[in-house]
Amino acid sequence: MKSDQGFYGRFGGSYIPEILHASQRDLLAAWQEASEDPAFMALVDREMQQYSGRPTPLTPCPNLSRALGGARIYLKREDLNHSGAHKMNNVIGQGLLVKRMGKKRIIAETGAGQHGVASALIAARLGLDCTVYMGARDIERQYPNVFWMKQLGATVVPVTSGGQTLRDALDEALRDWSADPSGSHYLIGTACGPAPYPEMVAQFQSVIGREVRQQSLAQFGALPDRIYACVGGGSNAAGILLPFLDDPEVELVGIEAGGRGKAPGEHSIRLSDDLGSPGIAQGFSTMFLQDDQGQLMDTHSVAAGLDYVGVSPILAHLAEAGRIRMDAASDDETMAAFGMLLRHEGVIPALESAHAVAGALREAPQLSPEQRVVINVSGRGDKDIFNVASALQDPEFTGFLQRYLEREAGR
Amino acid sequence: MSALQSFIQQQRGDREILLMTHVVYGYPSVDESLALMRDLLGAGVELLEVQFPFSDPSADGPSILHACHAALVNKPTLAQCLEDIGGLARDFPDSRVLLMSYLNPLYRYGLERLPADAVKAGVGGFIVPDLPLELADSFRAACQDAAVEPVWMLTPETPESRMREICAAASGFLYCVSRRGVTGKGTGAEQPLDDYLARIRTGTDLPLAVGFGIRSADQVRALTGKADIAILGSGILDAFNDGGRAAVRDLVKSLRG
Repeated sequence: MKSDQGFYGRFGGSYIPEILHASQRDLLAAWQEASEDPAFMALVDREMQQYSGRPTPLTPCPNLSRALGGARIYLKREDLNHSGAHKMNNVIGQGLLVKRMGKKRIIAETGAGQHGVASALIAARLGLDCTVYMGARDIERQYPNVFWMKQLGATVVPVTSGGQTLRDALDEALRDWSADPSGSHYLIGTACGPAPYPEMVAQFQSVIGREVRQQSLAQFGALPDRIYACVGGGSNAAGILLPFLDDPEVELVGIEAGGRGKAPGEHSIRLSDDLGSPGIAQGFSTMFLQDDQGQLMDTHSVAAGLDYVGVSPILAHLAEAGRIRMDAASDDETMAAFGMLLRHEGVIPALESAHAVAGALREAPQLSPEQRVVINVSGRGDKDIFNVASALQDPEFTGFLQRYLEREAGR
Repeated sequence: MSALQSFIQQQRGDREILLMTHVVYGYPSVDESLALMRDLLGAGVELLEVQFPFSDPSADGPSILHACHAALVNKPTLAQCLEDIGGLARDFPDSRVLLMSYLNPLYRYGLERLPADAVKAGVGGFIVPDLPLELADSFRAACQDAAVEPVWMLTPETPESRMREICAAASGFLYCVSRRGVTGKGTGAEQPLDDYLARIRTGTDLPLAVGFGIRSADQVRALTGKADIAILGSGILDAFNDGGRAAVRDLVKSLRG
């Protein structure tokens, strides 16, 4: 979706410290030029195929559909990307742009760690230095991803300020970029931040929706009736939903993290229930969770990747305009949906993606069997093994860890 | 010439270099931050930069970041901050108090009504690090109506053409960021700073204030003749954290030495 000078309705823009201005302008120009260069966009497509394994399948879910007794359910399998999440689409695009710009170092922020791993992978492949900022709390929740980032040669910096999650990591990445604006590229992981990031990230991710369109026509001769995507920063949602903006018959649904309830700090719902309000922070204007003094609030989700205080300005605009319907799924509902998908179809979604599954499962029974819904499985869930084992109170897992530690200590 | 610029030029008549010192409002408490501000104004600093704390100060380094987060525990309000600045402005008419804040708290307050309210309270200017010139039209208009100055920043990364634009739009003084990065760390080598300031000087007659990484009398002395105002931010805060208000008073005395 093209912006109007960086704005989508009243959201977006580029509210950055003066030190970053020249680099932001350079990036704007480089992206403008690259996005209009068919050779560059073909290179991105080729790398998506050859490195990440695209196209990802559109998987029918006959068992789940039968069990729910409503619409026929399909999954867009972004979990089958290299690295196990849609994040790979964006880092391939931006990584190749960094090479084109001649920069040698990337800075990334990460929440769940998926974007950090994807950044570390592409940095290794393209020969770039890579520094990843990650909230100390998120590191605790997602250490396996940190392990891989380090193995891949990335420097992982724990962020101990504020709530120690994605938003603090984003601030810290901006600080790093300020120290070396011309030599480093800030490889933001979602469709947020100053222009041109929202547009650029959404564009790289829109391969998801373009494939869904082709696959739907090929597999069932029509467009989907509804598409569900989870919304944290909003890049997987923008990627699957934006290519259908001009198809009014396709209903677009975003699912935010309902967490443990509607009280401040217990959820990450920015775009429904009047919980968010317009604000300007982290380089752009969007709907934020904030108090009456404009201080950004703490957020919560069982899924680290949805635990974010702002949201893509593109989605804020489309939600306000009524083109995307926003809803939320609680932690508990999400875990239930996670189990349903696991047992009926043998697919393990990321806890982030399980929010989209929960949203769809809630509504599918009310639809007719002639209708088809597509759920974006933005990432795979095996990375969530510690959190899932904990949520399911699996008795064997703890014992396994204890024995593992004893073995390692005895070496 | 704006009121702020004439104030600075008149002060510069007596002194080779002026001081602008920075305090985070509400750190470690509202009362203690106000006491520190009174100390600084009492010690004769010409300009006081009062930072209204924000949860996500992305241009600030660890010292100020930590102070902002600690200050927010007490839930300060911008309205009370303006009222408190009013008290300072009344009691220290020979200095000027500037309000520094990231955009969002000001935006929540209302960018259209803020300049008039701030002037009523005695605010002499605004410093808003994440509001770029090209997105500031309505705020600038409101400032002009209220006769208060938004202070614009220049950095070593600012290209020549943009420097000219900013100089043309600026009033009061120019905030010249001495180096890349966030607040707090040391300044870089001296020669590039001299060249940078000389380059700015050719484009404007406005007073130049230099900040980021200044914390010693030697550094302030080194700016004499090249800039009009030395800005001390994290330096003041670190002194306070090390030795309380007494350490800050000593630091300011040494700067005046």
